[in-house]
Amino acid sequence: MNPLAAIGRSTLAFLAGTGRIAVFGSRGVAALFQPPFYGREFLRAFLFIGYYSLPVVGLTAIFTGGALALQTYAGGARFNGEQIVPSIVAIGIVRELGPVLGGLMVAGRVASAIAAEIGTMKVTEQIDALVTLSTSPMKYLVAPRLLAATLALPLLVAVADILGIFGGWIVAITRLDFSSAVYLRNTIDFLESGDVISGLVKAAVFGFIIALMGCHQGMHSGRGASGVGRATTLAVVTASVLILATNYILTEFFFSV
Amino acid sequence: MTERTRDDIMIRAEGVTRAFGRKRVLRGVDLAIRRGESRVIIGGSGSGKSVLVKCLIGLIPADGGRIVIDGIPLSRATRPEVMRRVGMLFQGGALFDSLPVWENVAFRLLRGEDERIDRARAREIAIEKLARVGLGPETADLYPAELSGGMQKRVGLARAIAHAPSIIFFDEPTTGLDPIMAGVINRLIRSIVGETGATAVTITHDMVSVRTIADRVSMLHEGVIRWTGPVAQLDEPGDPYVTQFVRGAPEGPIHVEGTG
Repeated sequence: MNPLAAIGRSTLAFLAGTGRIAVFGSRGVAALFQPPFYGREFLRAFLFIGYYSLPVVGLTAIFTGGALALQTYAGGARFNGEQIVPSIVAIGIVRELGPVLGGLMVAGRVASAIAAEIGTMKVTEQIDALVTLSTSPMKYLVAPRLLAATLALPLLVAVADILGIFGGWIVAITRLDFSSAVYLRNTIDFLESGDVISGLVKAAVFGFIIALMGCHQGMHSGRGASGVGRATTLAVVTASVLILATNYILTEFFFSV
Repeated sequence: MTERTRDDIMIRAEGVTRAFGRKRVLRGVDLAIRRGESRVIIGGSGSGKSVLVKCLIGLIPADGGRIVIDGIPLSRATRPEVMRRVGMLFQGGALFDSLPVWENVAFRLLRGEDERIDRARAREIAIEKLARVGLGPETADLYPAELSGGMQKRVGLARAIAHAPSIIFFDEPTTGLDPIMAGVINRLIRSIVGETGATAVTITHDMVSVRTIADRVSMLHEGVIRWTGPVAQLDEPGDPYVTQFVRGAPEGPIHVEGTG
């Protein structure tokens, strides 16, 4: 086996896959602006992605905020900087951990569910049935989910931000002897609107990625239960990797401006 | 064939080919189906019957050849132009699990891109169509998962005829049904096609269905239409392949894998 040929094949396959996803995403975005619009499908997807993800995202944020407070305290104590706990917790949660962990949790829950639902529709010929019923699958299935996830993730992350800071506050006042008023004042004083905005922009992009990967893998699902299973796994894995890669790119961008 | 006028032909396929990777499923299919005719396409499992039907309506793009539906070349028609003329009953029903029966039947009327009516009127039409396939209004608010296989096929049939299409495709309409329910579905198809005057294209390997539904029969074998003739000629088709298939005989020119 020629290793150069293997690398070449893998590179070509990667580029072809990236191109297919880009074309699919462009068609999905274009479908958002072409009537008819499916409001019920959008609301159903919004409820599923936003409201029903609240428990998992909220719990993740609370525990992460608490752990971050402990870790920051332990690190800060080495140079008598324990007072940085509120600001680091707030900035860490709002700029980074809220959107990234929220995105990853939603990717696990939502990208898999979208891929499984659409993949099952494909293997049971429901996608073909949609077409014969004069309904575009891109407009009916993909566009509402793309829009719902892009709008729901920032709201979810806003809640996660509040709960993450709350988790840090609880740990700080119960375990680290912080004064509640001082902790909250430090949090508010150090947090800037740019921190919140950058986190919410990241969340919107991550929401788009989650729905895109779920829809793309579902629409290209293989035959049978194994095909749907593979599509589901691929949706979660690709969405998670893309979230982490995009997070770095967006962080670089916000770092530069 | 030459004496027919062009307008007499509802579906015409000339040299249609389609491959999946190296597997050439359709190798040059020629078909001419007259308006109002009920054509059944028979062929073994995996012979490409479903692929052919999906190519005929553009669900799967053909690699080569020419398809004309109701005088419109498929290559130049928009999807709504084609689908406006078409209704299709899928093999597994392909009902939408998240919607009640009546919304499945009225799906095109509620959500289609070319025709929309208000929900109350759409529900009335759905209940009319359900009655036409022998289902009472009490089934309207059930979900597909609550229906038996036979009921799902009937709902699928009601959905296929809800907008009065001029061409109806039936993909293995009796697969998975007991003989009595299969008989009910066959009779429904026959009567609905007769009443509406629609052109019907059915793909099946159920010979009872063929004899109930068909005016003419075509056999697809190894990617081409091997034989076409009236249903009355099925017992003496003059083609050993068709004879073997109709009789269900393991011995004959059609090689079945695993039989040596």
